[in-house]
Amino acid sequence: MTRIVSWFGRLLLDPIEEIGRASKIFFGGLANIFLPPFRFRLIIQQLEFIGVQSLPIIMLTSVFTGAVFTLQLDRALSMFGAQAMVGGTVGVALCRELGPTLTGLLVAGRAGSAMAAEIASMRVSEQIDALDVMAVDPINYLVKPRLIASIISVPVLTAIYDAMGMGGSYVVGVLWNGIAEPEFMVRLQEWVDWDDIWSGLLKGLAFGAIIGTVACYKGFYTTGGARGVGLATTSTVVVSSVAILVVNFFIAAALP
Amino acid sequence: MSGEDPIREEEHEYRFGRPEEGTGLAIQGEDGKFLDPVTGHEAAIRYCNVHKAFGDFKILRGLNLVIPRGQISIIIGRSGTGKSVTLKHIMGLLRPDRGQIMLGDQDLTAMSDRELRHVRTRFGVVFQNAALFDSMTVLENVAFPLREHTRMRNKEIKAKASHLLDQVGLGGTEDKVPSELSGGMRKRVGLARALVRDPEFILYDEPTTGLDPILAAAMDKLIADTQAARPEITSIVISHDMHAVLHIADKVAMLVDGIVLHEGRPEYFRDSKDPLIRQFIAGSLDGPMSV
Repeated sequence: MTRIVSWFGRLLLDPIEEIGRASKIFFGGLANIFLPPFRFRLIIQQLEFIGVQSLPIIMLTSVFTGAVFTLQLDRALSMFGAQAMVGGTVGVALCRELGPTLTGLLVAGRAGSAMAAEIASMRVSEQIDALDVMAVDPINYLVKPRLIASIISVPVLTAIYDAMGMGGSYVVGVLWNGIAEPEFMVRLQEWVDWDDIWSGLLKGLAFGAIIGTVACYKGFYTTGGARGVGLATTSTVVVSSVAILVVNFFIAAALP
Repeated sequence: MSGEDPIREEEHEYRFGRPEEGTGLAIQGEDGKFLDPVTGHEAAIRYCNVHKAFGDFKILRGLNLVIPRGQISIIIGRSGTGKSVTLKHIMGLLRPDRGQIMLGDQDLTAMSDRELRHVRTRFGVVFQNAALFDSMTVLENVAFPLREHTRMRNKEIKAKASHLLDQVGLGGTEDKVPSELSGGMRKRVGLARALVRDPEFILYDEPTTGLDPILAAAMDKLIADTQAARPEITSIVISHDMHAVLHIADKVAMLVDGIVLHEGRPEYFRDSKDPLIRQFIAGSLDGPMSV
């Protein structure tokens, strides 16, 4: 009987504990932005890792996303003689949904997993304990730079994704499928307005916060040696990806 | 709770005998200061009836222990008896469920995280696996506490870190990364890092584990030399290494099932007829402790 009560208790308390820990990472990281030491060098390093090093994969995938989306739309819309709408449709879809979501998923897979693995291996090899006993706040030293860099990098990468995706769309739509350039560009300019761009960048901001928080949280509370490091890495990608898709829906529903 | 597991049951707490009256307790001198009964030195740290459990598993069960100032205290005991947990309580990495840990006249258990962080600046810790930052060079590792907590100039920091590396016999390894070093070398770098801020207390978590006997003896000598060169430092060593216990300790405390069962000078342990101590020193399978 005691075991059953204990099991139910755990069932209730474990998620609350997890939310509490993740909140500690997120709010602790944010609060530390204003607390010295400011860790500019570490923030730059993380910007380079999360942002600059993600550029090749972001550029490659964005071009092909724009290209394949244009290819399929062109086939569908040409049946109605509405090829001119391709540019505008691709533009809105990229800016509002595809850009931020795919950027978030790619950064979670590339940088989020690496951040979690790094912090987790520091945990299991007592390096985080070493920081603690040297009176260095691990949240300030490890979490803050990664959280800030994620929050800055993902919206910037999203903007690049949008632009490169449009480039891919232009190549396939105008140069390959022969859509008239003025039609393509006019629809693009007419349909994509600042609200579309800003809503995508706002999503990027939220996804950056999700990736930074989940990666640091999973790494920070790792237990169980090498297996724990592996689990932290995997669950960072899974949890971040699911959270990005769920949060994406709610932001999309909330925004005009 | 399982009835078969003797370690979890209160009635089996003293399954290897009860400690002598007053074991682990400080005595009060004429001037009111607390003294260590074994060495007669002033008590730097006192554990007062400390309890700690992880879930149902009780690790510390009313631990009383005095760490004398300016001496080498070695805490011995089998794996799982709570040695590392004892050490982590001093560093404030763990908080007890009950009891007090007194650092001089400050109660560590009543401190906020921020106050504990400040207290930690008085400690240097040598971790079991050195816990060096693998993204930094040896020199950067040793210099790290100075960069974090002092306004020393880069040149001075490098000079002090290099000097300490020389002292632990690792001159010339400044630009190597931890993965290029052997286990013994990493521990010595860990010692240099622990010493770099001239701490009041230095804590060694199993400093000779994983080293061959010659390297282990060299590490023991390094601990003794470090203490001799800095007599104001209080050293606390967690160890299974009986060579260290008998040769470098000023005080030895034997932890059994979360309490100090025996304490004394190394001679007490060397000459003891207690079957538990004899078994531990001999490393024998025959005796009161079963595997």
